[in-house]
Amino acid sequence: MSRFNRDVFIAIVLLLLCGAFLTASFHIREIDYGILTPAAWPQIILVALTILSMVYLVQSLRRGTPPGGATPVSIKGVLEKYRNPLWCYALFLLFLLTLDYLGMLIGGVLFVFCLLTAIGGASKRNLITHALIAVIMIGAMWALFTYALGVIFPQGEIFTTL
Amino acid sequence: MMIDNIVAAFHELFVLETIFLMMVGVVAGLIAGGVPGFTIAMAVVLTLPFTFGMDAVQGLAVMMGVFVGGLSGGLMSGILTGIPGTPSSVATTFDGFPMARAGRPGFALGLGVWSSFFGGIISAILLVTLAPQLARIGLEFQQWDYFALVIFALTITASLAGENLVKGLIAGALGLLVATVGEDEINGVARFHFGNEALKQGFGFLPVLIGLFAFSQLLSDLEDRVKARRSLSEGGGVAVRIEHRKAAMTVLKHWVNLVRSSLIGVFTGILPAAGSSISNILAYDQAKKASKEPETFGTGCEDGIIAPESANNATAGGALITMMALGIPGDIVTAVMLGALLIHDIIPSPTFITETPVLAYSLFLAFFVANFMMLALQSYTLRLFVLITRVRMYVLASIILAYCAIGVFALSNIAFDIWTLFWFGVLGYLMRIFGFPLAPMILGVVLGRIAEQWLARSLARSDDLTYFLTSPWSLFFLILAAFSVFFPKYQAERGKRKWTLFYPAIFAMSLSVPAFMMGGPVRIVLGILLIALGVRSLIKHNANGWRVDPAASNAPQLREG
Repeated sequence: MSRFNRDVFIAIVLLLLCGAFLTASFHIREIDYGILTPAAWPQIILVALTILSMVYLVQSLRRGTPPGGATPVSIKGVLEKYRNPLWCYALFLLFLLTLDYLGMLIGGVLFVFCLLTAIGGASKRNLITHALIAVIMIGAMWALFTYALGVIFPQGEIFTTL
Repeated sequence: MMIDNIVAAFHELFVLETIFLMMVGVVAGLIAGGVPGFTIAMAVVLTLPFTFGMDAVQGLAVMMGVFVGGLSGGLMSGILTGIPGTPSSVATTFDGFPMARAGRPGFALGLGVWSSFFGGIISAILLVTLAPQLARIGLEFQQWDYFALVIFALTITASLAGENLVKGLIAGALGLLVATVGEDEINGVARFHFGNEALKQGFGFLPVLIGLFAFSQLLSDLEDRVKARRSLSEGGGVAVRIEHRKAAMTVLKHWVNLVRSSLIGVFTGILPAAGSSISNILAYDQAKKASKEPETFGTGCEDGIIAPESANNATAGGALITMMALGIPGDIVTAVMLGALLIHDIIPSPTFITETPVLAYSLFLAFFVANFMMLALQSYTLRLFVLITRVRMYVLASIILAYCAIGVFALSNIAFDIWTLFWFGVLGYLMRIFGFPLAPMILGVVLGRIAEQWLARSLARSDDLTYFLTSPWSLFFLILAAFSVFFPKYQAERGKRKWTLFYPAIFAMSLSVPAFMMGGPVRIVLGILLIALGVRSLIKHNANGWRVDPAASNAPQLREG
């Protein structure tokens, strides 16, 4: 029975995170106006988190993998299972990276259109429906925030260069 | 004094714009509560960006509308499609769906709507009468007591952890850690910015919340490729006419069940971490046990709809009592509401009602009004709900994802907030996949800075740590905190292991110590009663020979039908 399972991996990541933050906590500027220094509270939390992560690691190691062994996970399988969430993240990341250039309105419309098409399929009928949904819904939301709530969204360099 | 506050609150709340916005909030809550996959907490979280530009009364009144609407919205899909819209309406489907399928959907909906309304009103009355009384105790608190109170609130994470206590506590600690990033509010020193200028300001509370909760929830809804392309109405949702008159009379005829279930709801709400998802099942179970015809439950029984629906709406009043009287969140929705108070520069604390009485009484009134609005708007919303359920899930989710980005940007007009939303969306989704509960993390984010502030104030007054144990209220909350951490373990092992036989007795007797320290005749009598309770429990177990049954089941004795 292998002792290494998914929980062991997460526990190790948590312990590494605690290590990184504990190290960083010793570089926080020391100012002592009162009794509680700026680093004290985070260090209390980090000590608690480290102890909890160790307990989690021990629990996970004790449990090990099931007698039949863990189900092998292929990258293709993961991509297949999490296809939709991965599309969401990828397109949202693209939306964020192009926000300064495309602006909130164009970027938002393109994000919704692409996401709808990626998940819902790209038939001719779908393309038209998705385009209409994206333009109407994002346009309405953009107008509501801009004109009713007075929010100034990034206009996008594309408008200034055109 | 109370009347003056109510009059002032009346003037604040009954402004045309506020009432209109509250109505929009109630409708939004009803819809969000009705669509399976969208939770009440998510609806309240997504309302926050809109309320940012409003004043505190208006913003919180709108959120109250969403909260009350959300609690009642779940019954629409539960009764019409058999799929509960939210966990708080799970038990409603046991009898609501069979009644609808038996050809009485309008009556089933009517029972649900009127039970929700009466449950809400009963809890609103208790909220107005109990919360100010409870809040008076808060005036006795010192710095140490406040810190101990927040620590107790943080131990609620143990109860919110679900099956895995360690994972829940880790999530809570991660939330506390997230709250420390950025400028320290006491000394103004930037922490954990790793050279990034934007991180020096820390993470915005709302982008973190929306990312963790809403963003990750939407992605979970889209995970199943077949379900993502399906619309809810494929489950059979149809518009029907609600039979108001007949239903209202029936609910009033079953007033014992109504009052009992509402009280179960209120007291479940007062208990930290026990929300409407528990109260509706508890009330259903009690209604079935008290019924002369328990065999009819699950076949479309009237009491089976009245009990869960009155209980889940009444829970809101209970959770608000804890939030407003003690300044600690009773559940995830009140945690978000506390966050909304922070956005409006109001620090939640036990002095909330005494220091900001107009705002507090406006919230009481808003809770009342929201229940009436829910009653009036449910029929109209039903048509809208049926329309929305024809939309495919991936379309709804994609639009809401874009709205998350727009709403988050609108808060401070900085793109970094959308990045925060994105990264916490990733984190929230990974936590869901790996079985870490999100609610404790959100509690940690909300309470982290408050805890640090009170600790700093306590230590600034005296560096003698024994004050945390010698101050009666501090000791009281620390004892509650210690027992609260082990409560889920006690619940799971009750009657199976010997230590669980001692738990209630030791708990009661420990609490008597601060009661005696507080002094005063009432508290000393209370202390004596607590000792008597503890001794009684020990004598009872001794008479039974300290018998335990390792095979006993502690799962709720509930069956569908």
